[in-house]
Amino acid sequence: MYNNMGPQPGMPMHQGIPQPGMPMHPAIPQPSPSEYVQSNISRYFSDPQYYFQVNDQYVRNKLKIVLFPFLHRGHWTRISEPVGGRLSYKPPIYDINAPDLYIPLMAFGTYVVLAGLSLGLYGKFSPEALNWLFVKGMVGWFLQVMLLKISLLSLGSGEAPLLDIVAYAGYTFTGLCLAVLGKIIWGYSYYVLIPWTCLCTGVFLVKTMKRVLFAEARSYDSSRHHYLLIFVALAQFPLLIWLGNISVNWLF
Amino acid sequence: MTKDFAVPPVVFPTGGSSGGANVQQRRFSAIPFQQPPPQSSSQIPFLSFNMGSAAASSATTAGPFGGTIASSSSFGGGGGGSPSFEDEEPLLDELGIHPDQIWKKTRSILNPFRINQTVHKDSDLSGPIFLYLALCLFQLLAGKIQFGVILGWIVVSSIFLYVVFNMLAGRNGNLNLHTCTSLVGYCLLPVVVLSAVSLFVPQGAGPVKYVLAGVFVLWSTRACSTLVVSLADGGEEHRGLIAYACFLIYTLFSLLVIF
Repeated sequence: MYNNMGPQPGMPMHQGIPQPGMPMHPAIPQPSPSEYVQSNISRYFSDPQYYFQVNDQYVRNKLKIVLFPFLHRGHWTRISEPVGGRLSYKPPIYDINAPDLYIPLMAFGTYVVLAGLSLGLYGKFSPEALNWLFVKGMVGWFLQVMLLKISLLSLGSGEAPLLDIVAYAGYTFTGLCLAVLGKIIWGYSYYVLIPWTCLCTGVFLVKTMKRVLFAEARSYDSSRHHYLLIFVALAQFPLLIWLGNISVNWLF
Repeated sequence: MTKDFAVPPVVFPTGGSSGGANVQQRRFSAIPFQQPPPQSSSQIPFLSFNMGSAAASSATTAGPFGGTIASSSSFGGGGGGSPSFEDEEPLLDELGIHPDQIWKKTRSILNPFRINQTVHKDSDLSGPIFLYLALCLFQLLAGKIQFGVILGWIVVSSIFLYVVFNMLAGRNGNLNLHTCTSLVGYCLLPVVVLSAVSLFVPQGAGPVKYVLAGVFVLWSTRACSTLVVSLADGGEEHRGLIAYACFLIYTLFSLLVIF
């Protein structure tokens, strides 16, 4: 991985006493660090590189969609293109509806930082508390992924890529960051922002999952689909209220 | 135990060359503590008590090997057969710590408006360790013992930046973890300054601390994102995205300082 394998300069070479000597490897072409990261991650997930092809403009527009989904005038389906005989989706740069992993990762980080800030403003900050907030956020993300995955599975199709679901689940942290920011700036705005965030996240997830279900489900059972989507939207309320309630005691 | 002085043996002018050689030989055999001839200077001086019998033989054999065989029988200072004490590298060089390079790199970040990127081409970790210890010291002066916390956060945030940069940069991203940690560590300098300054800010001045922290965090972010983008390929069109990741990292450290 690094280029500094091998005997370090300055180490005294032992003479006289027979030693096997440093094993000198033949010049193995080292993979570049980004290939190393990707080859290790892609063993378990589908090509994560796809989810990071973003640029500034995509990030701005996607944030607008996630935070104000009812203002989105366009369609919600992902654009697919034939690649090598199979149908695959266009990367996020070309398609505003494609999921990406940059925004969820950054939103999660922002949530942890803002939660730490709000803890500090109430005088309860400590590094251990921040670690617990990180764990809480991870659990919340996991629960959201489980929710989406189970709703997909119960309709008989679980073939959506795992990282897609992880990305969709991670978008809830953007609204959550907004709510926590509002709480920091003015305490009472929290009680307005949390229902707003829950609503927006619910609408976003419903519209997205509807397309995913449409693309992936083997049988189109209309009423079950709709009940499940309503359930997903309603489940956002307790989840986001739990995540938004920032206190030292991380369980509630 | 006796220090070696470069004293040439005394040669009496009378007696000519043969007399001088005789005198030398007599000196050689009579006084076992005599300084060995210069070509076998690889022997460790304070072992010369052992050289009384072996000095003549070791002077003729190849220097390092003879010295090894003779000195391995007695406890030797340093590795047997290694260069003598004067020829050993200075300790700092051997450890890979170059204070002048560390100072140059630190000074390049001190100017918030123009950052000299060429000095950061060789990454090293001793500067970041020094800055980490300085940050821990200032935190200690503020009454917070956070040695492990800061070290852990530096490691985690450099892994975070490494993953984010390489994923964003795509196929041609070549930031390696050593460089990444080195840059994150060096750009911790403004946070160190913040912790030093916040020792003197009076207790009740909340907003002043936040504004101060904001300024230093922005300085850190600017330094780190400029250096990362200029030192590794593939980051030019993702400047803002990488800058936001750096901003998150340094805000986290500033939280430690202000609360």
